[in-house]
Amino acid sequence: MTTNAHADPVTQEIVANALASIADEMATTIFRTAHSTVVRDGMDFSAALCDARGETVAQAVSVPFHLGSLPVAMEKLLARYGDELRPGDVYVMNDPFDGGIHLQDVFVFKPVFSGETLVGFAATTAHHGDVGGRLPGSSACDNTEIFQEGIRLPWLRLYAEGEPVEDVFKIISANVRIPRMTLGDLGAQVAACSVAERSLLALVERYGVERLQALMGALVEHTERLVRSEIASWPDGSASFVDYLDSDGIERVDVPIHVTVTIAGDEVIADFSESSPMVRGALNSTRSFIQAVVYQAIRAALSVEVPNTSGAFRPITVVTRPGTIAEVVMPGASSMRGVTGFRAFDAVNGALAQLIPDRIAAAGEGGNTLAIFGAERPTGERFVYYELVTGTWGATPEGDGNDGLANPCSVAANIPVEVAESEYPILVERYGLVPDTGGAGRYRGGLAIERAWRCLTDDTSLIVRSDRRAHPPYGLHGGRPGAPSLNVLRRPDGSEEELPSMFSTTIGAGEVFYHRIAGGGGYGDPLERDPAAVAADVAQEKVSVRAALEEYGVVLRPDGSVDEEATREERNARTS
Amino acid sequence: MTAASARVGVDVGGTFTDVVHLSSTGAVQVRKVLSTPPDYDRAVVASVSELAAADCDLEEIVHGTTVATNAVLERRGARTALVTTKGFRDVLELRRLRIPHMYDLFWRKPPPLVERRLRLELTERLAADGSVLEQLREDEVREVAARLRELGVESVAVCLLHAYANPEHEERVGAVLEDELPGVSVSLSSRILREQREYERTATTVVNAYVRPLMSSYLRSIRSGLAERGFEAPLRIMQSSGGVMTAHDAEERPVFALESGPAAGVVAALGIATRIGYENVISFDMGGTTAKASLIERGALTRGREYEAGGSLSAGSRLLRGSGELLRIPTIDIAEIGAGGGSIAWLDAAGGLMVGPRSAGAEPGPACYGRGGVEPTVTDANVVLGYMPGATLADGEISVSVERAAEAVLRVAAPLGLSLEAAARGIHEIANARMTRALRSVSSEKGRDPRDFTLLAYGGSGPIHAAGLAEELGVATVLVPPLAGLFSAVGLLFARPEFHDVRPCHLDARSADPAALEELYAEMEAGLRAALAYLPELEWSRTAELRYEGQSWEVEVELPSRRVTPEALAALVARFEDEHERLYGVRGQAGSPVQLRALRVAALGPMPPADVLAPADPPVRDAERVARFGHDALAVPVRTRSSIDAEPEEGPLLVDEYDTTVVVRPGWTVRRHEATSTLILERGTRS
Repeated sequence: MTTNAHADPVTQEIVANALASIADEMATTIFRTAHSTVVRDGMDFSAALCDARGETVAQAVSVPFHLGSLPVAMEKLLARYGDELRPGDVYVMNDPFDGGIHLQDVFVFKPVFSGETLVGFAATTAHHGDVGGRLPGSSACDNTEIFQEGIRLPWLRLYAEGEPVEDVFKIISANVRIPRMTLGDLGAQVAACSVAERSLLALVERYGVERLQALMGALVEHTERLVRSEIASWPDGSASFVDYLDSDGIERVDVPIHVTVTIAGDEVIADFSESSPMVRGALNSTRSFIQAVVYQAIRAALSVEVPNTSGAFRPITVVTRPGTIAEVVMPGASSMRGVTGFRAFDAVNGALAQLIPDRIAAAGEGGNTLAIFGAERPTGERFVYYELVTGTWGATPEGDGNDGLANPCSVAANIPVEVAESEYPILVERYGLVPDTGGAGRYRGGLAIERAWRCLTDDTSLIVRSDRRAHPPYGLHGGRPGAPSLNVLRRPDGSEEELPSMFSTTIGAGEVFYHRIAGGGGYGDPLERDPAAVAADVAQEKVSVRAALEEYGVVLRPDGSVDEEATREERNARTS
Repeated sequence: MTAASARVGVDVGGTFTDVVHLSSTGAVQVRKVLSTPPDYDRAVVASVSELAAADCDLEEIVHGTTVATNAVLERRGARTALVTTKGFRDVLELRRLRIPHMYDLFWRKPPPLVERRLRLELTERLAADGSVLEQLREDEVREVAARLRELGVESVAVCLLHAYANPEHEERVGAVLEDELPGVSVSLSSRILREQREYERTATTVVNAYVRPLMSSYLRSIRSGLAERGFEAPLRIMQSSGGVMTAHDAEERPVFALESGPAAGVVAALGIATRIGYENVISFDMGGTTAKASLIERGALTRGREYEAGGSLSAGSRLLRGSGELLRIPTIDIAEIGAGGGSIAWLDAAGGLMVGPRSAGAEPGPACYGRGGVEPTVTDANVVLGYMPGATLADGEISVSVERAAEAVLRVAAPLGLSLEAAARGIHEIANARMTRALRSVSSEKGRDPRDFTLLAYGGSGPIHAAGLAEELGVATVLVPPLAGLFSAVGLLFARPEFHDVRPCHLDARSADPAALEELYAEMEAGLRAALAYLPELEWSRTAELRYEGQSWEVEVELPSRRVTPEALAALVARFEDEHERLYGVRGQAGSPVQLRALRVAALGPMPPADVLAPADPPVRDAERVARFGHDALAVPVRTRSSIDAEPEEGPLLVDEYDTTVVVRPGWTVRRHEATSTLILERGTRS
């Protein structure tokens, strides 16, 4: 390698900016041109640039879990096509057994050539609303093998030297419920790759291929040095943590996610060997996805900003055992493994909280809840409406958990009610915060969020993946857990039925599905919370007067102000 | 409007109030005075009456102001309530959930402008097509009004679900609230932003309600203050869109005037560029803490539809959302990045040289100003490189110390093992790289090749960096207008009256009925014509927003002819497909369904006649200065603007001005466009 660690920091920073803005261009292109709500409104996609070796050198603001999965996908592509890549080729893959992370996340990569020389890759990942399979939306917790989950594409050419490979398009069209949506989203990914190619070649023109390669390599190494120097500042040590899923995807059962995190010098090792064996349902994760989870957790614990490159991953080792929920093997189902990833993230943080307590927040809502509605419209056309509920954070060592902010692992957006109702036969009845659901603590966990959908079509398939009903988000250092999640079905006659965390069912017109996501965990002893902060929460109708007293030992006067004396007495009585 | 009348432009910022007076004979006078917060109107009235004292035929006063923006940033707006459909009072607080910092788990979301207890709900419901699912009950509205009275609110925003499709419920709520709550201002979402997406519409309406009482009293004070001094000229207000509106309209819908200062600068850029004959221009405004860029293409401004007030400037990516107050209003699309003269250079943990986003600001300012700053800034680097004079600036208000600049830059040079000059060059170039990102986001990120554009630079540091940035982007020509430091005030004199209307629709573009569309356009135009009766002539623009079926984002294209005919409609769809391909590199398969999502009309008033001339040159202290370009240290002649004439002269040259320096790099030439006194820098073929 010609890269020199201290070569020209100025040009390196300039090129880093240029690469980052190309990644942003890619992301803009995807959401502006995509067809499914999950991509264009929910923002469940990623865009990145890799160098000729396949190292990630830039990523747009998009799903962190995707970024960490890129290296394995790239490794498989190079192993299969490394010697045959041609200018104008575009490759597609979604197979979790060929570098993918579940069938819904479709990878589209384009090698970029300057003349005959490979410069790098434009890489996109998008969560597709439907890729065929057993149920609308393809993902279902009670899928039991991959063959139920949709079309499986190992690395394939989608375009060969600029020409579409029609056979591949035909096979995809024939296997998905709404070909226009799937092909529309694929088209958005291809467009993003073309935009990246145009801009990357402009950089080549300026710097030359060799120099650009060297600069990209140096950027990856620079990132690695930054991460290593921060990890080196953490105390060495080892800690374990177990968190649980509510279900194996089919029935209520505790599924342990166990991790041991070791900080040793400037490296971190996360070992998931003791986690649950593979489960019957679709919650089994690929090893690459668990790696991405760990990368995200470590990354978020850093106090420095580092470039979005694969150099950040090098000081981190992830250990998994084949045949466990952390490393799916054939023919395990994985469509709903997202929840396993979210829980693995919580587990890693639970371990890190014992090692670097000042850098770790209490658990948030536990990840995106998915609710997928699928049916035929009155016109006979099929629809798949992919909804997500997320946005509750755990409290941090510095302050309350956020109420209404994307889960940091997915950075999703919500789907506007007005957009949903104008495009799908659905009516959203409420969307808001739920008082008294944030875990009490010196700093309060974020409030749970509720959303209710009235179904307007008969024979509507409803697939739900939620969690954190039996094992609510943990608090830290004396902070209480957040309120558990809740699923309820309300029938037209007014009767209500509580539903499990994960299920697939069929509902009819007039039925209302209500979901409340879990509240965030609190941080520190609730009796140490500033009484004024409690009074402010009560004034904002985020905490009730009753909870102010019971949870925080704060006595309020009828006008809402704090009765200092009574509060002191109350708190003293409890601590003595 | 006659060319003989005098006009005044006043731009109020947080620190300075800038006034430009253009007399009936074409003479220019300028004033820069300290702003007078919180009564910003005092400096406006005083400076305008001073400059315009001798002028009895004042035609109009055009005003740009950050008063509303500052109220939002500093949270000094009215006690505002929000009324929503039952079940949705938290839409404002939940936002779109977007997170501006991907890896910062300690980031705290700013609290909403309307706190939760001031957000009240009403039982009512519309469907997406505007039909009524649940009737509004007037008695419940009156109960809500009573509650609002108890809560002592000064302003109310009303945003009901699907009100864009049918404003009737909102109108009725508005009528009852106005009846029940005299003196409380009421803003209806369907009047502010008649568009789908409840969060965006709610947030925009809330900001309008939040700043309305303040803007209203501010504008009334200016009008009465000027009237007392005998000025009867109408007061016009700059909008974020770059057009002006009447003060009365600004009182009703102040949200449209939120970012009027930066918009005015871009308008001035367009005015100057058009007069010189450049159609494709990137405006580049570099101040103390931020750099801003905007695209002018084929002689037209680039419009944006969304903007975040108080958003994090350091983000560097326009995909990052959620740090400020989202506004969906017509704006000039301006990209902003946290890099300016005051941006601080520092070393990261692995020894990488970084610049910004932290800024030394006005206090303590760059180290070279000798007011307590010790960390190296971009300005210090520019002093070390010899670009800026080591003397006094702005009538001696600021003195610049070369020694202090060098001391500061050495703080990063030593650990890097770099010479002083190499470190300064590094800081300068990294600042350029960061700013390049803003420039790219308005050009290459939209599929425009920056090499097809000319850079027009202003702001205190813009003319220093412009030529270097141009080289970075492959731009061949740089324009530096006169009065670069008060360019926003200049822009106010270039602004045209401008009004917009929009009608949402949901039609198949290939089969829509042209007559029905014509009727919708005509209806909007009739409405605007009635509202704009004070203007002698209006120029109309009709556009439409289209998208492929299944997409969520529209592309706006202009209607190819004045009337909607079947041919025009077909041409409109073709234009959309071309634009889509240009933007994103792909088009739909032949015959793909295309949806018509909105019709828009813009009414433009007459273009004011303004040929701004440069004021007199400030005295130049150096005959030449040693300046560094690449690895060379060169003795470079220092000149005044008026000493440059129409014949190109070869660089390197430095043109020292009131508060900035124009850097003409080696390999560039400079000449002066006489009518506008603009300097034109051109890259020679040799470089």
